[in-house]
Formats: sequence, structure tokens, C-alpha cells
Amino acid sequence: MTSENKLVGQAAPPAHLAVRGIQKRFGGVHALRGVDFEVARGEVMALVGDNGAGKSTLMKVLAGAHAADDGAFLLDGQPVTVATPNDASALGIQIVYQDLALCENLDVSANLSLGDEPTKPGWGFLPRLLRPLDDLEMEVKAREAIDKLQVRTLQSVRAKVGGLSGGQRQAIAIARAVGTESTVVMLDEPTAALGVAQTRQVLEVVKRLRETQHAVVYISHNMRDIFEVADRITVLRHGTNVATYTTSETTPDEIVVAMTRGLDTVSDEGAGDAA
Amino acid sequence: MTILDRFRALRETQFGAFVPVLLALAAIWGYFGLVLPAYDVMTGEADSFRAIFLSPRNIYNLFMQSAVIATLAVGITIVLLLGEIDLSAAATAGVCAALLGVLVLAGVPGWLACIIVMGVGVVMGAAQGVLVAYVGIPSFVVTLAGLLGYQGLMQKILPTGNLNVGDPFVRGIARVLIPDMWGLALAVVVVAAFAFANLRKQSQRKAKGLELDSPLALWGQVIAFGIIVVAVVLTLNAYRSLPLLLVLLVALTALLGWISVSTPYGRSLFAVGGNAESARRLGMKVQRIRVSAFAIVGLMAAIGGIFGASRFGSVSYTAFAGGSLLLEAIGAAVIGGTSLFGGRGSVWNAILGALVIGSLGNGLDLTGASAADKLMVSGAILLLAVAIDAVSRNNAGGR
Ligand SMILES: Nc1ncnc2c1ncn2[C@@H]1O[C@H](COP(=O)(O)OP(=O)(O)O)[C@@H](O)[C@H]1O
Ligand SMILES: [Mg+2]
Repeated sequence: MTSENKLVGQAAPPAHLAVRGIQKRFGGVHALRGVDFEVARGEVMALVGDNGAGKSTLMKVLAGAHAADDGAFLLDGQPVTVATPNDASALGIQIVYQDLALCENLDVSANLSLGDEPTKPGWGFLPRLLRPLDDLEMEVKAREAIDKLQVRTLQSVRAKVGGLSGGQRQAIAIARAVGTESTVVMLDEPTAALGVAQTRQVLEVVKRLRETQHAVVYISHNMRDIFEVADRITVLRHGTNVATYTTSETTPDEIVVAMTRGLDTVSDEGAGDAA
Repeated sequence: MTILDRFRALRETQFGAFVPVLLALAAIWGYFGLVLPAYDVMTGEADSFRAIFLSPRNIYNLFMQSAVIATLAVGITIVLLLGEIDLSAAATAGVCAALLGVLVLAGVPGWLACIIVMGVGVVMGAAQGVLVAYVGIPSFVVTLAGLLGYQGLMQKILPTGNLNVGDPFVRGIARVLIPDMWGLALAVVVVAAFAFANLRKQSQRKAKGLELDSPLALWGQVIAFGIIVVAVVLTLNAYRSLPLLLVLLVALTALLGWISVSTPYGRSLFAVGGNAESARRLGMKVQRIRVSAFAIVGLMAAIGGIFGASRFGSVSYTAFAGGSLLLEAIGAAVIGGTSLFGGRGSVWNAILGALVIGSLGNGLDLTGASAADKLMVSGAILLLAVAIDAVSRNNAGGR
């Protein structure tokens, strides 16, 4: 097998976040079967695979939304524990979910600071949950985050998310991930529901994240987008690694074959049938 | 933009949410207070125009009648925000009121009995919350079981079904009146504080370069609030005075209103009600939030029980657990504009909703309508409110 060197890629930069041997079961479904994955700072790592390959599940494990059944997390080479969303965000790992995970009944600024709301100073004697919110500070931060992404169509940060377009929602979800002190930003199919112009905007945002030395994980089915923004590509299939490629040394055709048939077609199909 | 879209947009704004329930209230008061008496004069049934419904005396009674409904409705609003429901609130109020009666009869000081009963209410609510949040039983089922169980418990505590409460502390809550001048002073202070808070926020917005509220909306809101508060106090003064019970109710509502809108805890209530999965992924303790919300309903139900016992001077099975209080309280919350689907609403709307329900009952009583008529009209109004809720909600999915 050639997968040994394919797994790391030829000129792999030192990983910022790496996971080894991740296992995840949902009842009878074995969604992740010993997955290895890594991403470096200033790099866009694409994560591809057929529907049901386990991409979203891997991301949720990395974000602490699902606790892994087994496996190791390394941040800059140091072992860390990521069992809850708070663990992940404390380590600077942020995720933009495929379903965006926005609260449509709240306005943009509330969504951007949800779970980490600024409170007014001088109320330290109260438990944090009961301190007065600093909603003006929230709006200031929201404005900054939105301006950084250059979403020009959004009129007001006090608009309810329920009334916004798909592209605006995507931008808000990204702004939420970037607005906090994050070093790893993961995007799950961010352009799936977007038109051409809005997709361009998202790709520009992804490139800007790379320039600011973020480690970016990018899930997509669109090969053109991937070959435009990604530095490396990790292919998953049936909850296991197929290989990791350096974008400049591969072709869309090779990736599609790896996604749909794996590297070693005959033996892989045989194993799948037997299981 | 169709009329429906405009209406939905209106409901999305901060004060627009009050408009439908205020209109409903104005319609009911106009009908019972002006249209019906005028009709009676025209048909010769009455020899002069008598606005009994809008007399200070009737308004006073209306407020007092609606106070217990409002207390429960405010609590129920908190669980409705989460997208849950509490069918046991009235039965909890009944158990707490009965316990209060028994305790003061046994010689426990009134203030201590009230505190004990409030603690019991919290436990009764939180116990149901644990079943909902940790065991995962739908709140509809848990609180339906709670409704039955607590009704039985109340009968156990009050085998005769009735108990007089004479304790001066307990009775004082409904009997003590704030002297006219003090009541007015309180109203002026509250309005001034409201105006100050709004204007200060506006100037801070300007200083930070944030988008501003239109001056029309800002001043309209301050002036409307001022007129309503002063008019209410003047009307109550014209009959008796501002009752302590109403001051307590408004203070409690203000506290819960502040918590639900202006604290991280309140934000988490809306977040869980709007998208529980996203709240969980953000690291919110969704289960604890659910339990705490049910504990708050329990507390408000206990306070409702105390208010009721104080106002009636007695505790009876039919006044709480066995009567129409539960449906009136849920109806009040929903008529006020709080969504049954979670994530939308306000405790202030619950008070207005309680006034709608109370006014309907009071007005129909005055016109000599039968209990059957009252039930049917209340049902129709509730249905209308839920229909409005469902129509507004369709908007959320649309782009
Ligand atoms: N919460 C869950 N409960 C049960 N099964 C799940 C859950 N999430 C994902 N799965 C299963 O895990 C597998 C991988 O899903 P997913 O990670 O969403 O795939 P992808 O994002 O690559 O399309 C699928 O078989 C899916 O049905
Ligand atoms: Mg997916």
C-alpha cells in the first residue's frame, strides 16, 4: 500500500491541530473508524468524501459537539482533551455547521455572541448567567465582525436572522466562528446553498482566513472551489481515510475516483460486501 | 408586501409585539364599555348612558381578578419560551395555597409560611423539569401527570375542599393600599426611570456610532408608557388606591422581564427555544436551563397561590386546581403573543393577555351572559390567538 506516504502528503507543514485514530459510533452506525486528520496554520485543508462518508461527524468531533469514542487530539504536538464545545472553543477551534446552527428568533448581534455574551462591568457579585448583558458592546463587535467579512448586503445587526437570505446567514455563521479568538476554523459545505456571487464571497473569506494564519478546514463537493482554495485534500470514505493529497500534485479526476472507489477498488468493495 | 407580511414584520419589532394584544384589549373595552351601553340607550333598555364596565370600581376589580391569572401566565411564559408547556401550574398554585392555609392555621407566622410555600413550589416545578430534561419525557405528558397528581395532593391537604385564611400578613398582600400620593409618586418615578434608561441608551448608541432608534419610536414609546402607567394609577385612586398586590405583581414581572431579556440566562432561554441543538453545540447547559425554567413556573405558581389566598381570604379546590385557572393562564400567555412553538414572547405580554381574559369574563358577567357563553367566547379568542401565532411563525421558515 502507498497510503503510508499519501496520508501525510509529500511536503506536509507541521500540523497545528491533529487527530489520530478517531472512532465514533451512533448506536449501530460506525460513522468514524479510526480516522487520522491534521491541519496546519496558514493552510486550507479540504475534506471530501461521498455523502455519509463521515465528514460532518469528524468536524463535530473536532468541535467537541460529539465526544469521540476513542482517539487522540494533538494541538501543536501537545495532547489535549476535546470532549465538549467549551473545550474546543477554549483551544481556539471554531466550526461553521452545515445547518449553520443559528437561532432564527434572535437578531444578528445576539447570534454572533451567543454562548459568550459580554456583560457590563461592576456586576461581578452576581453569577455570570445573571449579570446584565452589554448589548451595545455586542452590536459593536457584531459590526466589526461583519465588516471584516465585507458583507455589504446586511443592513442592520439588529435584524432577526429568520428574515435573512441564505448567503447572509452563511456570512453570519462564519463571522461567529472568526469573531472569537480562533486559530482553527472549520466550514461544513458553506457554499452548498449559495448562488455564484455569494459563493465567490465565501471563497474570498476562506482565502483571507489563510492569510491571517488560521488553520482552515473546508468541506465541499465542488471540485472547482476546492482546487481554487485548498492547499491539501483529505479524502474520507465509509468512515476511514483514503488518502491525503497536495492539491498542486493531483487532479480533480484522481480525487473523484478516490472518493467514490477508494485506492484499492477490488479488495475494498469485497470487504464492504462481506461486512 | 402584503398585509400579512407587514403584520409579521410588525410583530418582529420590539414594541410591535404588544400591538395585537393592545388592540384586542381596546376592542373588548370599547365593546363592553361604550358600544353595549350606547346600544342599551338606543333600544330604550336603559334610560341613561352608564359606562359600568369602564367605571373605576370595575376597573379596580378587573385588575384584581386578573392578577392571579397574570402571575401564573408570567411563569408559564418562561417555559413557553423554551418551547415547553406546563399544564400543572394551577394545580401547583392550589397545593401551595392549601399548604399556606394549613400552615398559618397551625400557627406558623404568615411571612414564614409564604417562604416555605414558595420553596415547595420551586421543588414541585423543578421535579417536573428533571423528568422533562433528564429523563426526556415530553413536558406535555409530565405536567399532565403533574396536574392530576397535584390535584389529588390538594384534596389530601384540604379534605373539606375549603379553608378560610385569616392571617393578617397573608390577607395584607391584597388589602394593603398604597396611599394616593405615594402611588402617583411611584408612577412618576417609574416613568422617569423608563424615559431616562431609553434616552441614555440612545445617547450611548450615538457615542458608539451604532444605528439609532427613530426619535418618533423612542418618544412614542416613552409617552405611551407614561400615559398608561399614570392613567392606571389615577383610575385606581379614583376608586380606592393602588393595591400592594398589583405593585408586587408588576415588580415580579419586571424582574423576570429583565432576566429574560437582559441577562445571559435569559438569552439562553430564547436560544434553546429557537434552536436547542445549536444552543447545545455552543456549550449551553440545555438540561439545567430546562429544569430552572420549570422551577421558575413553580415559584410563580406558588406566588399565584399566595395572591389568590390573600384576595379571597380562603383556599378552595375550585378556585385553583379544579377550576378554569390553568386554561385562563395559558390562554393569557398565548393571547399576549408568546409563541407555543418556543423562542418568541415576553412576560409583559402575559400581563396584557391576562387582562384580555379577565376583561372578557368580567364584561360577559356584567351583561349577564351564562357560563356557557363565557366558555365559548374564551375558546374562540384563544383559537384566534394561536392562529395568529401560527401565521406569524410561517414567516420564520420563508426566505
Ligand atoms: N446524530 C447522528 N445519529 C445517528 N447517526 C448519525 C448521526 N450523525 C451522523 N450519522 C451517521 O453517520 C454517518 C456519517 O454521516 P455524516 O458525517 O453526516 O456524513 P457526511 O457529512 O460525510 O455526508 C452517516 O451514516 C450518518 O447517517
Ligand atoms: Mg455532511
